Amino acid sequence: MTVELYFFQPLGTNSARMYLALLEKEVQFIERELSGRLFEHLQPAYLKINPKGQVPALVHDDMVMTEGGPTNEYIDEAFDGPPLRPADLRERCAMHWWCRVIDIEFGRSLMMVNWNRVVPMFAGAKSREEFEAILESVPLPDRRRAWRRAFLADTPIEQIDESRRRMAAVAARVEQTLAKQPWLAGQSYSLADIDLYSYFYFVPEWMPELVNPKATPALIDWLAKAIERPAVAEMMRRRRDDKGLETAVTAAAALKTGGQA
Amino acid sequence: MIRLYHWEAHGACARVMFCLAEKGLDYESRYVDPLAFEQHKPELIALNPTGQLPILDDAGFVCVEATDICDYLEEAYPAVALMPEAVVDRWRVRVWQKHVDEYVAASIGQLAWQQARTTMFAGRDTAALEAAVAAIADKGRRDWWKLSLVPYPDDQLDRARERLVPILVAAEEALAHADWLVGSFSLADIALYAYLAFLPEVAADLLADRPAIAAWIGRVAARPAVRTASARGTAARPFAVAAPGQEEMRWG
Repeated sequence: MTVELYFFQPLGTNSARMYLALLEKEVQFIERELSGRLFEHLQPAYLKINPKGQVPALVHDDMVMTEGGPTNEYIDEAFDGPPLRPADLRERCAMHWWCRVIDIEFGRSLMMVNWNRVVPMFAGAKSREEFEAILESVPLPDRRRAWRRAFLADTPIEQIDESRRRMAAVAARVEQTLAKQPWLAGQSYSLADIDLYSYFYFVPEWMPELVNPKATPALIDWLAKAIERPAVAEMMRRRRDDKGLETAVTAAAALKTGGQA
Repeated sequence: MIRLYHWEAHGACARVMFCLAEKGLDYESRYVDPLAFEQHKPELIALNPTGQLPILDDAGFVCVEATDICDYLEEAYPAVALMPEAVVDRWRVRVWQKHVDEYVAASIGQLAWQQARTTMFAGRDTAALEAAVAAIADKGRRDWWKLSLVPYPDDQLDRARERLVPILVAAEEALAHADWLVGSFSLADIALYAYLAFLPEVAADLLADRPAIAAWIGRVAARPAVRTASARGTAARPFAVAAPGQEEMRWG
């Protein structure tokens, strides 16, 4: 039996949720790290694994699986180890509801805000022609459009504001829920908590207005409780920063405000 | 006692109506007319704050979102199985459901509403419609209804069609040598059929070179449970009526 996971560093969002599910189930897997900044996920070698050019992908005995939600349910069903879905059907339904909200309502909004922030930074040195040549290799038209809009920085500000509003609404709902129960779906740790951690651990630093001890005390406590789990701690130990990118982003932001990097 | 709040037997409502019928489960039907904005009335907003159908109430336990309701019914009432046993096949069914949730529902929803808008709003007062939309509590839903009061722009409809194509290609391939999408008849067939059965009404050209999908639509429609469930709406041709559906995917 071989299990391989193709993922991006720094581990976060989609890559993190599959990575963390495997660690929670104590599955031994081969790490296949790709560099998003070098567009390794658009190279022929990876397109052979996933023709859509999307990361992450799980390969279990030659079967390639993409799509985080279904694949995490697969991981829970296919491997031994502690269950990651509540036995209580009401909690299980709540888990599904949260996984969807975090993936679509929060995740896509985060993606819009974040791409508009970082793509101009790391692709900024390229000419429009060079960038269009890279876009040619993006298999999904939707993804290609999103890349182009981020590169040209032409996403209407109202849409970015709407994404920020949705993220804030999700954070508020998470706070209400965690104020009354230990885990997102109820009494047991589940795939919903894996998703929440993967999409939120960096938010206190990155968008402190959304998650901070005053506005979201229960979520801050939950983050502290989550990192005590051996699997979460192990993932964070294996997480590596993309220093080059962060430096570029900080420097560019400083340039914009006229401040010092 | 199971109670289901639903509209006509198409789209998300049909997914749950078909699932209940296939499992032979009886339920109390609560017909909700979205074009009269009944789903935004306080008693329904209390059950689902976004004002979307269907809503399942099983002895006081409320569940929303068609995929999640079907998963709940499959676990709670397993006698008639609509999920395969093999773990890989279960993953396949969930991927079909995800394609439907993310892209098929929104794409078909736009094509169907673009075609039905004039008929469905015939004789309605524009100012009254605008006022009803302005009163929708959930901002995401309110914004989408606003955009849906007037014809969708061409580039938006092009995107809707473009997003369907890879899924149609995959379905045609899966059905070329098999009766059902994943092994036996499953929640994957229910999810996809509930939307693709709109195609003959709203985008027949997308079926022109896809005989396997066209034949499969006929096979699903002929299932006794599907026929029984379809009769629980009021429309003689449920796939000829529509309301504004799911918003289009906002990014990437």
